[in-house]
Amino acid sequence: MTFRTKLLLLTSLTVAGAVALVTGAVAVSTRRAFERIDVTRREALLDQFRRELDARGEELSRRVEQIASSAAIEQITSGAAEYDRAQAEAQEQSLDFLDVLQPDLTIISSAHWPARFGYKNDWNIAPEDWQATKSFLARIPLPEGNAVALVSVRISSGGKALVAGGRRLNAELLKSLGIAPGMRALLWRAPDDLIDAQGGVQHAEKLESLIAQVKASGHESTATVQWTGQRSSSEAFLGLPLFERGQLMGVLLAGTSLRKEMDLENEILWIGIVVGGSGIVIGILLGWWTTQRVTHPVEQLAAGARSVAAGDWSARVEVVSHDEIGELAQAFNQMTQHLVEQRDRAIQAERVAAWRELARRLAHELKNPLFPLQITIENLQRARERSAAEFDEVFREGTTTLLAELSNLKTIVGRFSDFAKMPAPQFERVDVNELVRGAMKLYNARLDATISLRLELADGELPIAADGDQLRRALSNLVLNAMDAMPDGGTLHVATAGIEDGVRISVADTGQGLTPEECERLFTPYYTTKHHGTGLGLAIVQSVVSDHHGKITVTSEPGHGSTFMIELPLRQGEQI
Amino acid sequence: MRAALRTFDPADSDISALEARAQLIPAVFETLVRFDEHGDPQPCLATSWTHDAARKRWVFTARANVLLHNGVAWSPKGGAVEMPDDRPLAAILRELAQPASAIVVRADDGSLLGTGPFRIAHWEAEKSARLVAHDGYWAGRPFLDAIEIRMGRPLRDQEMDLESGKTDVAEILVTDGRRLRQKGFAISSTPFTETLALVFENPRVPDATREALALSIDRATINNVLLQKQGEPSAALLPRWLSGYSFLFPAARNVARAKQLAASAAPLTFAYDKQDAILRAVGERIAVNAREAGIVLKNSTGPSDVRLVSLPITSRDSLTSLEGLATILKVGLPRASGPFETESALLNGYRIIPLVHLPRMWATSGAVTNWPRLADVWLDVLDSKVKP
Repeated sequence: MTFRTKLLLLTSLTVAGAVALVTGAVAVSTRRAFERIDVTRREALLDQFRRELDARGEELSRRVEQIASSAAIEQITSGAAEYDRAQAEAQEQSLDFLDVLQPDLTIISSAHWPARFGYKNDWNIAPEDWQATKSFLARIPLPEGNAVALVSVRISSGGKALVAGGRRLNAELLKSLGIAPGMRALLWRAPDDLIDAQGGVQHAEKLESLIAQVKASGHESTATVQWTGQRSSSEAFLGLPLFERGQLMGVLLAGTSLRKEMDLENEILWIGIVVGGSGIVIGILLGWWTTQRVTHPVEQLAAGARSVAAGDWSARVEVVSHDEIGELAQAFNQMTQHLVEQRDRAIQAERVAAWRELARRLAHELKNPLFPLQITIENLQRARERSAAEFDEVFREGTTTLLAELSNLKTIVGRFSDFAKMPAPQFERVDVNELVRGAMKLYNARLDATISLRLELADGELPIAADGDQLRRALSNLVLNAMDAMPDGGTLHVATAGIEDGVRISVADTGQGLTPEECERLFTPYYTTKHHGTGLGLAIVQSVVSDHHGKITVTSEPGHGSTFMIELPLRQGEQI
Repeated sequence: MRAALRTFDPADSDISALEARAQLIPAVFETLVRFDEHGDPQPCLATSWTHDAARKRWVFTARANVLLHNGVAWSPKGGAVEMPDDRPLAAILRELAQPASAIVVRADDGSLLGTGPFRIAHWEAEKSARLVAHDGYWAGRPFLDAIEIRMGRPLRDQEMDLESGKTDVAEILVTDGRRLRQKGFAISSTPFTETLALVFENPRVPDATREALALSIDRATINNVLLQKQGEPSAALLPRWLSGYSFLFPAARNVARAKQLAASAAPLTFAYDKQDAILRAVGERIAVNAREAGIVLKNSTGPSDVRLVSLPITSRDSLTSLEGLATILKVGLPRASGPFETESALLNGYRIIPLVHLPRMWATSGAVTNWPRLADVWLDVLDSKVKP
């Protein structure tokens, strides 16, 4: 992944993350605000329910009192009225339930269940109920089940009977609460009946767990119900238990629709998505522009570095800004400038060193033959002064020596001349195997019993484009070096092999080997590890290999011999 | 009237209107013999009857001077009706007293002619009928010139018609007698001619549950409070005035025993005619009684386990009444030696639980001054007496 891609990705993620954080924070904040409002509204609803219950209780007590003081009760208690006379009284006072009771709570007449006369009233009426004015909740048995009602009990005028009247806790009660939009009140009535202001509740089973929780704990509980697959159908409920004398009569459920909250959350989410998306697009554009600004100089720097690595030390990058990148470009330019200067200085120093080395070598090489020449000439001068006969003898020997040393000087000069005048290779098709075979024939005679030759050539031909003479000369130098490295005998191993797009020629000896430092300096001109030699052999080999666009490497360990490997390409341009 | 007749033909076998047919048909069509208020056979169109030496052939002497409704004299061949029948005389007379055995002559226009005190002047099946006095009635022209009958009228509607002056005679709820008497209407009632009973329609209800339900019912309270003491609590199908043995069927309540029997009893579906105020009140009370014993009765409008019904007593003869009840209840009449044994067999197993016998009650307006005679005319089968 490129730096530009990383930068773009980072920018986009940063923008998206920031938007997501802001969106999430806003959503959470909104939700909490809604929850606070909901709690307040639900508590207000519960207060309203309690007030409504109290008001209805007072009204109920008044109506029951009217019945208790009416003549009808006297007729009922005296047996003058029909057994279901309470129905008419209940209807007149708009009561859902009415029992006229004997003091022992035996039903004389019942409005809601006329057939129940003679049985005991079981509304859980306590003696204090007909003394007090307060109404209470009771569970009313009915033929079809139980009903929960607000109940009030009064003593009849004659004191012979009790009048217990009640009104059902029904949808009308919930409807009268004046519920705020988005809210609703539900009433669960024991044992298993759930209503709202419109009557029955669909999917009431979804509230069973909340009701069960309230019933089990006896305290307020909350729950959120999702009525359909849509989240916006969710409704938050607060359940309030309605206890009376230790018995749970019902549970009031104050519900708040979460539709608006969900809608707002969705809106915030969409805004976040849109803003985030836009931010990502803008971030990408900005990132692209920024990365362009940032990476272009970096890329220029990289290109410059690659040029330097390729040897173009004159590479420069354009300085277009004055920021850190500009400073980096300036530093790069300064660096390359310094490198060039240092290289020039190094070259200069190397030239000086090379000239010094050359001078040293020349002096050394020339000094050896010159000293015999000087001695010989001095001997000739002394012999000329002593006697003619001795002079002839000395002259003959002296001239012989002079010629030999002069020949030696000529040879030395010739070598230097050859190295200096290394001609450009003339490429032609050369079979490396054949070339190796031919070169090694020249040395068969020189190989004695102490040095054995092991020749491993690749199968078939290994044709490459090369200058056969130069290559033969380079191979000869390596072979001679190897033989020199084994004064006590050993094995000379010469091998060829085909490699990818080229050939490899290896020459190995089993001599004393080289140290790593010697390996590093081995191809330096005029460097030699031998007591004799000019130090130009391996330099010539390297020059030949380099002119053939190949490479030469050496691996060696002290005591384990050395291996020189030449790798040459198959083609030199189109020549083969 | 409550019932709605689809035809006046005595030969019709409409059991749904058996009671109404027993009331109305004798006003138009007469039989050779009839039963008096004691259930004894009395001459009607036949003045006497005799048999041959082998008692296999009976001869009923026809009453003289009997005119059909078209004025033609009814004169059987030889002045008598002969019939081969080797059954006991009582069985023969019981059959001959049935409305289905009435003397009916089909006129040339297809209309049915009888000899009764009234003839049919207008007939609209199941809705209304108009009966006019038969001037040539052998026992003397009836006091009333005509009787307008509106059929299919609930008792409450009849009472409203009476109170609003739309009718002079209305059948009323037994529980409304006191109220209407206070309003100045004359109230008359028949002997107990109706039996409220529970009938198990589902044969799979366990015996113990049926017995438990029978033991749980407080018949006395039902009669004393709901029916204002107008009925006769009984565990027998036939009232005591008709059978004389109804007290032999125990009607006492035993809630403790009922609870034992009803332990782990399944709820029963329970049906009754909710439009009938008496049935509704009694049905609700039965449900309360049953609940006390641990039996849950769930109201039902369709097929049910048990149904509360009103069974009419259609004859002054015990066996004939039991036959009628068996027909209405669609049960086979057990072959037994006498009425008690027959009724015992019917009630065995508590598949039918009689509760209380009720009279029929009528209220008449001030315009009616001779109600017993009117009753004699068209309620011939049942005795009637005016209460002051």
